[in-house]
Amino acid sequence: MPLNNLLCGLLETGVNQLHQLDSSAVIKRKQLNGTIIGVSLKELNFPLYFVISSQQVDILNKFSGDPDCFIRVSVSALPKLQDNHQLTHLIKTGQLEVEGDIQLVQQFAQLLTDMEIDWEEHLSHKVGDVIAHKFCYHAKKIQQNVQQQLMNVEKQTALYITEEVKLAPSGLEVAYFCEQVKTLDKQAEKLLVKLNQYTNK
Amino acid sequence: MQEKPDNTTHFGFKTVEEDKKVELVADVFHSVAAKYDIMNDVLSMGIHRIWKRFTIDCSGVRQGQKVLDLAGGTGDLTAKFSRIVGPKGNVVLADINDSMLKVGRTKLRDMGIEGNVSYVQANAEELPFPDNHFDLITIAFGLRNVTDKDKALASIYRVLKPGGRLLVLEFSKPIYTPVKKFYDFYSFNILPKLGKLIANDSESYQYLAESIRMHPGQEALKEMMENVGFEGTEYFNLSAGIVALHRGYKY
Repeated sequence: MPLNNLLCGLLETGVNQLHQLDSSAVIKRKQLNGTIIGVSLKELNFPLYFVISSQQVDILNKFSGDPDCFIRVSVSALPKLQDNHQLTHLIKTGQLEVEGDIQLVQQFAQLLTDMEIDWEEHLSHKVGDVIAHKFCYHAKKIQQNVQQQLMNVEKQTALYITEEVKLAPSGLEVAYFCEQVKTLDKQAEKLLVKLNQYTNK
Repeated sequence: MQEKPDNTTHFGFKTVEEDKKVELVADVFHSVAAKYDIMNDVLSMGIHRIWKRFTIDCSGVRQGQKVLDLAGGTGDLTAKFSRIVGPKGNVVLADINDSMLKVGRTKLRDMGIEGNVSYVQANAEELPFPDNHFDLITIAFGLRNVTDKDKALASIYRVLKPGGRLLVLEFSKPIYTPVKKFYDFYSFNILPKLGKLIANDSESYQYLAESIRMHPGQEALKEMMENVGFEGTEYFNLSAGIVALHRGYKY
């Protein structure tokens, strides 16, 4: 299936290019040197095997040997893999299945997601310090602005839904309603007990 | 099967004496060795990487195995295999041409691949290895240039372990007529010109195009493999049959 091969190739080139920009990747790869880790997304059933050596990461589509560790994970849990505390929780909820050494999972997740790339430094080699600094400064500003705006929009939409058009109740209303239901429940129980007493007599 | 009574064989479309072919092929590769990798990328438009990737997927290679990359040239497959088999495994890069072997060795050392790779200059017809030695043998774009293909296949069969497999990645016959038309035009008109432009050597690439036409087709090669004893032989057409990957097992 050459399409899969193309995909693996692109992925492999991408990962390795990023690793070349990241000075800490070499050390992380050395820690995992010689390990083979299989990853399969629960939604796709398309396994990928990562062969990690100190030179680079190779991504294979098929591997007939035993990988050191095989991970089956759902897409939603991918970003949480890094966090050591969440691993057990993910396994409990069934979002993550691991066969093999669980410590490798975390190291592997760090290798792929935790890249410290100093884009400004790399850019400065191409266009000079001043432009690189200006560019990155503005990019950061824009990113912050966008985040701020997104948060605002989120807040405003929530207010609009709960206060203006009253499509959904606000948090306090829900709490009050729950309280009422609880009281009603208690009262009903009491009534039931009383009723039982009378009927038994 | 190509053997003619008067001891001649083909060199591209020319007919030459059998013992001359080795030298002629050697000349071709001495002349292209330095630019081999870049030419591969240009001429195949990078698709050779996908063909090789597919080969590795079909290899079923594991940690600790012994692999022979025959006619390995500049070591593309060797590099990958070396990383997969790990420190306990062993990969032998063999080529009949010492220019290619040197280019390959330099390239692999520059990449930091050492320890589990050894380099051997060897003729595929007379492999200098003990019987039942390798778990996997690959020959990528090399069988075409071997003078006596049956002898080479038999020699490969001998050094392969029982349970081991042979992968032959080689140019083949396109299965669709339009593809064939375009491919013929490309290889006889454009390919030698590109060869002239980049490697300053149009004859070698003329030979490449001709030797591809003289190479046996998918079924013929499969039969040749079966004749020397390979079992479970099958082939996969890649890029509409421009290239085919043959796989055979020794049991």
